[in-house]
Amino acid sequence: MILFPAAMVVIYGVLFVMMPDKTSLALKSSSNIFLNMLMPLGLVFVLMILLNLLLKPTQIVRLLGKGAGIKGILLPAAAGIVSMGPIYVWYPLLRDLREKGAGNSPIGIFLYNRAVKPFLLPVMIAYFGWEYVGILTALTVLGSIAIGYSLSKLME
Amino acid sequence: MKIAISSDGPNLNATVGDKFGTSQYLLIVDLESGEFEAVPNPGASGQRGAGMQAVVLAISKDIKTVLTGYCSPTAYNQLKANGIEVLTGLSGAVEEVVEKYKKGELKAGMRAGTEPKSRRIKVDKSALVQATRSSARQFTILLPTLLGVVLLIGLFNAFVSKDFLVSIFSGNVALDTLWGACFGSILAGNPINSYVIGGELLKYDISLFAVTAFILTWVTVGLVQLPAEIAALGRRFALLRNGLSFILSIPIAIITVLILNLIGS
Repeated sequence: MILFPAAMVVIYGVLFVMMPDKTSLALKSSSNIFLNMLMPLGLVFVLMILLNLLLKPTQIVRLLGKGAGIKGILLPAAAGIVSMGPIYVWYPLLRDLREKGAGNSPIGIFLYNRAVKPFLLPVMIAYFGWEYVGILTALTVLGSIAIGYSLSKLME
Repeated sequence: MKIAISSDGPNLNATVGDKFGTSQYLLIVDLESGEFEAVPNPGASGQRGAGMQAVVLAISKDIKTVLTGYCSPTAYNQLKANGIEVLTGLSGAVEEVVEKYKKGELKAGMRAGTEPKSRRIKVDKSALVQATRSSARQFTILLPTLLGVVLLIGLFNAFVSKDFLVSIFSGNVALDTLWGACFGSILAGNPINSYVIGGELLKYDISLFAVTAFILTWVTVGLVQLPAEIAALGRRFALLRNGLSFILSIPIAIITVLILNLIGS
């Protein structure tokens, strides 16, 4: 994880020796991008605390196993939206859940809705505007239902 | 007979720990003598195998019953296999939960009563500290890669000519969206990185269609993590899910931008 930023620092170091002017330009551009992100990032941190305070991973996983019909769509969608952390953390939990009888549809819905991240919305809105974010979020949730339905049919 | 309760603190006034494997302490109460011992949970660091360390502790202390908020299926099975009863779904003050257990009022999955108000404030405070810690940890995991991405974009801005990108993204909506989806599928990681990259791509006049498909597939399609998904959920499921998500990203991207244009933004 640290390898990538470390590699970038090394690349900057090498480039600075070879082409100091252009590399300074790159660094200036990077710092501008970062400065513009500071405020949204602060909000991200606050939202992260709120979500961590209100929800535990085990509660999220429980949402996936419950409910049929409309609940079988809404609960995994909500679970996907509020889930945090890298995806590989969730795979063992999902496997465990499937062994306990969770269907393909809720797992598909959960994974697709991970594209909707409420705590990252400040950054997304800063870049794309709230109208765009609203439309894309709504379509992503709708799309997840299509994914869940298709998966349950195709996996039969 | 001895029972173990996962706990946030080293005394009976503490609250029952959320998770058996990673709570701060295991309080071991001797029901006959009423004595108790607070043992720091060996799995409190939350590292891999935390639950098993707590299981080993329970076995070595000759515990008959474990009372906790949640216990992972692996730890649960191990405890059961060693003749230890497990009651989960419990919360509130340790003292109260032990009393209820003594009176035979607890069943698996049942919630023990609410705590007195004065204690609740204490719990909320510790929960806030815990949540802030978790968030800080998640944030520090996210930050190095984000910095790397920002540095990479800086290089990109300084060294890569606009003509190069324009040569890849032709201006054809369908083709550009497909390219965007392809890039997003290969790359993966925290979605925040896709927003930053996508936002910068827009400055190069790359179409919003392509950027939207890129953002969508960044999370929903993952070639990098495909082996892990196959291992967890099966080859057929993983391939179908990734394939469907890839295909769906294109109409979603197109419809999103069309609606946005319609409402005049």
